[in-house]
Amino acid sequence: MSNNLNIIEVHNLKKSYNDGETQTLALDNVSFTVRKGEFLAIMGPSGSGKSTLLHVLGLLDDATSGDYIFDGKKTSSYSGNELAALRNKKIGFVFQAFNLLARTSVLENVKLPLIYSDIPEHEWDMRARTAIEAVGLSHRLEHQPSELSGGERQRVAIARSLINDPDIIFADEPTGNLDSKSGKNVMSIIQKLNEENGKTIILITHETSTADHAERIIHLLDGVIDRDEKVKNRLTTSDEYVK
Amino acid sequence: MLSNRHLFKTATTGLSTNRSRTFLTIFGIVIGITAIMLVVSLGAGAQALILGQVQGLGTNTIAIIPGREPTGPSDVSSLYSDSLKEKDLTALENKANVPWLKLIMPTVISADSASFGSNAYQVNIFGATEIIADIFDMHLDSGSFWDQDDVLSRNSVVVLGSKVAQHLFDTENPIGQKIKVKSVNLKVVGVLAPTGGGSLFNFDNMIILPYTTTQSYILGTKYFNRIIIQSVTDDKVAVTADDIDRTLRESHNITDPTKDDFTVQTQQDLANRLSTITTSLTWFLVAVASIALFVGGVGIMNIMLVAVTERTREIGLRKALGATNGDILKQFLLEAVMLTVIGGLVGIFLGTLLAFIIALGLSKGLGVNWQFVFPWSGAILGVTVSAVIGLVFGGYPARKASKKSPIEALRYE
Repeated sequence: MSNNLNIIEVHNLKKSYNDGETQTLALDNVSFTVRKGEFLAIMGPSGSGKSTLLHVLGLLDDATSGDYIFDGKKTSSYSGNELAALRNKKIGFVFQAFNLLARTSVLENVKLPLIYSDIPEHEWDMRARTAIEAVGLSHRLEHQPSELSGGERQRVAIARSLINDPDIIFADEPTGNLDSKSGKNVMSIIQKLNEENGKTIILITHETSTADHAERIIHLLDGVIDRDEKVKNRLTTSDEYVK
Repeated sequence: MLSNRHLFKTATTGLSTNRSRTFLTIFGIVIGITAIMLVVSLGAGAQALILGQVQGLGTNTIAIIPGREPTGPSDVSSLYSDSLKEKDLTALENKANVPWLKLIMPTVISADSASFGSNAYQVNIFGATEIIADIFDMHLDSGSFWDQDDVLSRNSVVVLGSKVAQHLFDTENPIGQKIKVKSVNLKVVGVLAPTGGGSLFNFDNMIILPYTTTQSYILGTKYFNRIIIQSVTDDKVAVTADDIDRTLRESHNITDPTKDDFTVQTQQDLANRLSTITTSLTWFLVAVASIALFVGGVGIMNIMLVAVTERTREIGLRKALGATNGDILKQFLLEAVMLTVIGGLVGIFLGTLLAFIIALGLSKGLGVNWQFVFPWSGAILGVTVSAVIGLVFGGYPARKASKKSPIEALRYE
């Protein structure tokens, strides 16, 4: 059933939280697969379990039961340090709150994942500059996050997620803190990463307009997959990308 | 894998983001280490001063004290305070008994009032032989020392300490005058140069006269308070001390050494005893100063816990980007150790500076022969202890940081 074309396979995934006496089931028997190079959006109202699902898929959290096969191997077989190495090499994260280090330049922020990698140090600078170039911020190398606009900050975060050349990028509400123009700009960069660089993208959002950049949408409701459908009128990158 | 260089860089960045807090946190450690350095340095200086003076007497010097050393509170050592007599002197002077003896000097010590005309002054009376001037390296301001004939003939001659001369005679010339002690008239033949306040042996308040005169006319006793002996060389001190023991036991008809009615004390014994006292005093003060260091350590722990909570988001981010628990642990541990070691180094510098200033003040201001001692043991102890404090008090917060779940950390607002 496992297949080399799938980067993610999830079978009967359950995640429950013990809140004192009550047990909350955040994910209930979730099963799906994600192809390599696919652009998937996960939608749902708050409390639907979409963030929990992203955390499990992003190897930040364990499932209570069920199987998660990432890149052909069950994740339950990895040790804590191996999971950290996988997050470092194969996964890029883009968060709603950007999560850049304050008082640290754009260049240093983008390099942050490299200090935990085994990439030789003489490549770091070139890699960071290339990634920053890809999000159109070459003129902001030495700026600090506080000197940047929200859209620029999120582009720095995207550059950081690209630095280790990961297979898959998880974007958790990447436009949630942005105005619509910056949001569209960020989304077209993400879409380009998928279309031109072949990165698998998993996007969490509650906005249909954002989700429409993806090829496919999984709708979650109360921890269960409600619908899993192709996007009919997919948005294109085209004119929205402004340098 | 986080390289050491980047670990260091990360920790430095962590510390430099909140400079004033970092500075205040370090301050506690600085005070603790400064106090320890100061105590160790001053302790070493005091020890050098005391031992220097003891050794100034000559390390070949041996003292015989009447009575045995008290072994407990009920042991009355003063019971035998009259045990050293003229016949012991004769026995010890016999080369067959103590072959390596170079010189021997009996002494009697007392205190009384001395007067000249209407002036009176409380003085320490030191009865000895003429060789006292050599043994204690005495210098005369005026006159000359009495000699062996004065000792043998029990002549009423006296040498005055500088303060005694000043109080009794003021500006008058004391040489040739007669002072009165216990209605005995003593002719002043010499006045000593001042010895100064910093010396272990202060002769300024003393009058020095032949022990025979002191015994016969002033005290009316026949025993000695001390017998001072010097062996020919330093390496004969132990043999000579044993010879003295044997000779005196024979002279006193003692067979059981635990019943000795005298104590033989070498300069080495005295030096050892004094350095034991100064060393234990120093370490006692170090222990007191360590309390400040401990409080500083608790401050470090407190501030590191605050930092870990404040930086929950950063920890989560680093974990999401591939940092292992070990990487996070090392980062926070290094931050704590850097805080304490920087504090330690500053403390060593400040403590040394203060000790140097105090040494300078004592030697220049008070005329004490005080040497500044750089406390190597204190410095090494200071750095080690501060690093250990960083590890111990930083350990718990760092562990707490490393155990944070990345999602809890990222969710933290």
